Amino acid sequence: MADDQQLKTGVGIQQPIDRRHFLGSGAGLAGGIAGCLQLLSHPLLADELKQQEKRVILLWLAGGASQLETFDPKPRRPTGGPFQAIPTSTAGVYISELMPKMAQRMENTAIIRSLNTGIGDHGGGSILMHLGRRDEPNLKYPDMGSVLAHELGQADSSVPDFVTFYTATEGRGNAVGRPGFLGARYAPMFLTTNNKPDDLARIAELAEVDHRQRADLRQLLSDRFTRGRETERVLESHNVAYRRVRGLMASDTLFDVEDEPQKMHSLYGPTLFAQQCMIARRLAEAGTPFVKVSRAWWDSHGQNFETHLEMVTELDHVMSTLLEDLRQRGMLESTLVITLSEFGRTPTINGSLGRDHFARAWSASLSGCGINGGSVYGKTDEDGQHVAEGEIGAAEMIATIYQALGIDPQKEYHVGARPVPLTDPGTEAVTEVLA
Amino acid sequence: MLAQIDPATLKVSKKISQPGILLSVAQLNDSNQVFVGSSDGMVYSLDAMADKPEPLAMEGHQSYVTGLVQSGELLVSGSFDGKLIWWNSQTREQIRTVDAHHKWIRQLAINQDGTMLASVSDDMVCRLWNLADGSLIKELKGHAEKTPHHFPSMLYACAFSADGSLLATADRVGLTIVWEVETGKELARLESPIMYTWDPKQRIHSIGGIRSVAFSADRSLLAVGGTGKINNIDHLEALSRIEIFDWEKGERTHEFNGDTYKGLVEQLIFHPEDQWLLAAGGDHNGFIKFYDLAEKKVIKQDKAPMHVHDLVVNEAFDTIFAAGHGQLVVWQMDAAKSD
Repeated sequence: MADDQQLKTGVGIQQPIDRRHFLGSGAGLAGGIAGCLQLLSHPLLADELKQQEKRVILLWLAGGASQLETFDPKPRRPTGGPFQAIPTSTAGVYISELMPKMAQRMENTAIIRSLNTGIGDHGGGSILMHLGRRDEPNLKYPDMGSVLAHELGQADSSVPDFVTFYTATEGRGNAVGRPGFLGARYAPMFLTTNNKPDDLARIAELAEVDHRQRADLRQLLSDRFTRGRETERVLESHNVAYRRVRGLMASDTLFDVEDEPQKMHSLYGPTLFAQQCMIARRLAEAGTPFVKVSRAWWDSHGQNFETHLEMVTELDHVMSTLLEDLRQRGMLESTLVITLSEFGRTPTINGSLGRDHFARAWSASLSGCGINGGSVYGKTDEDGQHVAEGEIGAAEMIATIYQALGIDPQKEYHVGARPVPLTDPGTEAVTEVLA
Repeated sequence: MLAQIDPATLKVSKKISQPGILLSVAQLNDSNQVFVGSSDGMVYSLDAMADKPEPLAMEGHQSYVTGLVQSGELLVSGSFDGKLIWWNSQTREQIRTVDAHHKWIRQLAINQDGTMLASVSDDMVCRLWNLADGSLIKELKGHAEKTPHHFPSMLYACAFSADGSLLATADRVGLTIVWEVETGKELARLESPIMYTWDPKQRIHSIGGIRSVAFSADRSLLAVGGTGKINNIDHLEALSRIEIFDWEKGERTHEFNGDTYKGLVEQLIFHPEDQWLLAAGGDHNGFIKFYDLAEKKVIKQDKAPMHVHDLVVNEAFDTIFAAGHGQLVVWQMDAAKSD
């Protein structure tokens, strides 16, 4: 296994430019994880990352939201369903009438209408749309959350760098974050039953002042011990890790939306998805580079229109509120908000007024950071059965996300001696939707 | 007095394929000429018993045509576009269009003397209209706009009592309100919570609702139809469910859970002499059922060729015209044999 290989060789995950920093620092490859941590704390690189301060909020529409009831309506066609298309703030761009609030603010959002991803089962489709490619038998790829936590996060960050919300039980197993060969350091904080992590809270018996004093004492002893042992990288890595845990514990309050003013609660609304998006914004504001809010479950084999009337109405409200909240805080230009599913839904309407799984021609949206707002890429035919123009797959979708964030999709990691690009060789981003 | 009809003799006499989803049906003055409302926004007029029916399109709506009622020379259609259109049922020409609701119109009903039209919509208002001139008579407001879980609710069904004095309206969360038509006063609220499934854990959204209502001929009973609780709300795979109330007492007198054929009960019609209750609907497939209320049992049930969205019965109560997914179906029944 690649993970085993990484452990055996002691070779960490590196990129060419980073390796130069790494070697230049005088630390050896054998430094392993400690070396990586030191690498990421290099002043030049840290500054570069800090300047970027880019964040991602993925709205994962688990179960497969319908493109026809969101971003690619086909009104008055046999496949179109009952919803109309409405004009948006961008001339010539129409979306479903279920999204009137998003329609008023399309200047920050790009639509991709030409995904053909080929996998029509929930599990396979979810993995594909998280990885941008299929696994290899001997190599587990990290999903985009782990990659972006690695790319955008900082080793000594006091906040978690990959948080996932998935409260519904259906499909949860399909959407577990996968750090793959990046290792457990880039696994997500995975929140299911609660909006707040259970394990971060300080134990009740330990007062905050005692907790702080213990930390101070530990630091004092550590400093004494390292005096004269400045080359002891392992010890330093322990200190970094300890500070990180302390930071994560302090970030506990980020999950507590009760801190938000009533006005914000009123704006976002009372639903669980709204609450989690509010927390996502708090985390992004505090520096968490990747937050996934999973809204499940869109799998409307029966009563598709009733289901989408409920869920798109909620998505429209919460997503538009989130974008406006980010804009008002000056964060929208540095925060990429994505809507993505494992697939779309069939244009053909079944006997239960449902739509089934459909990976052949469906849509996603990208808003904010690095995006050419108001742009639409790709086109489906008049009934939405096939991609008519600009067909892309999962790899191109993920590459576009990376490039929007200023990350080269062909950037290479090394697993052992093997160079592994972020996306499959030759994959190109959809530059038409990028700023 | 009507001739005794034997539901056990029910048989399909005609199946007419039609592209799209047929959501509503009305019969022209007890003839074989019927109108069907379609997902393509058209109302089609056709002779349902012709060898090769040739539907004539009546264009006017912009979305699914979900309600059709007919009286004399008037036909009124209602649509998800929120409009009501009055048509001349003979010439098929439009008489007037009324912007009736700002959300989807789900169902229409007319009283027996053909003077008043009721429309229900997802704006959660029932509006009563003068059928002759299209003027608004009254608004009935009592159903909540949001579900208890903060999502938009839906007002699916309405029906007049045979004497026209009562109107029932029913919504997504399982609430039925009985109104006094003359005053617009609420007379009763009946709860059918089983017909609304909120899934707080697995999928975090809802399904269901009361899709059909009907008063018994003597107006003492009110039947409501939908589904029972649904375990997997991705699908309509639930027991069809009918609850019948003595609405004045607020007592539930009957519960029917269909397990042979499943799905939503989309339409309910009492026999005019209360000999039986007719129900139809479906999931991926369709069903038609007859219930004996005195015996509290199913008299006859059959698989329909498609999910049935609407049906209308002729005056003799021996012919049923049903609109559904891609088809118009005609069922016929024979007179009961005397002993």
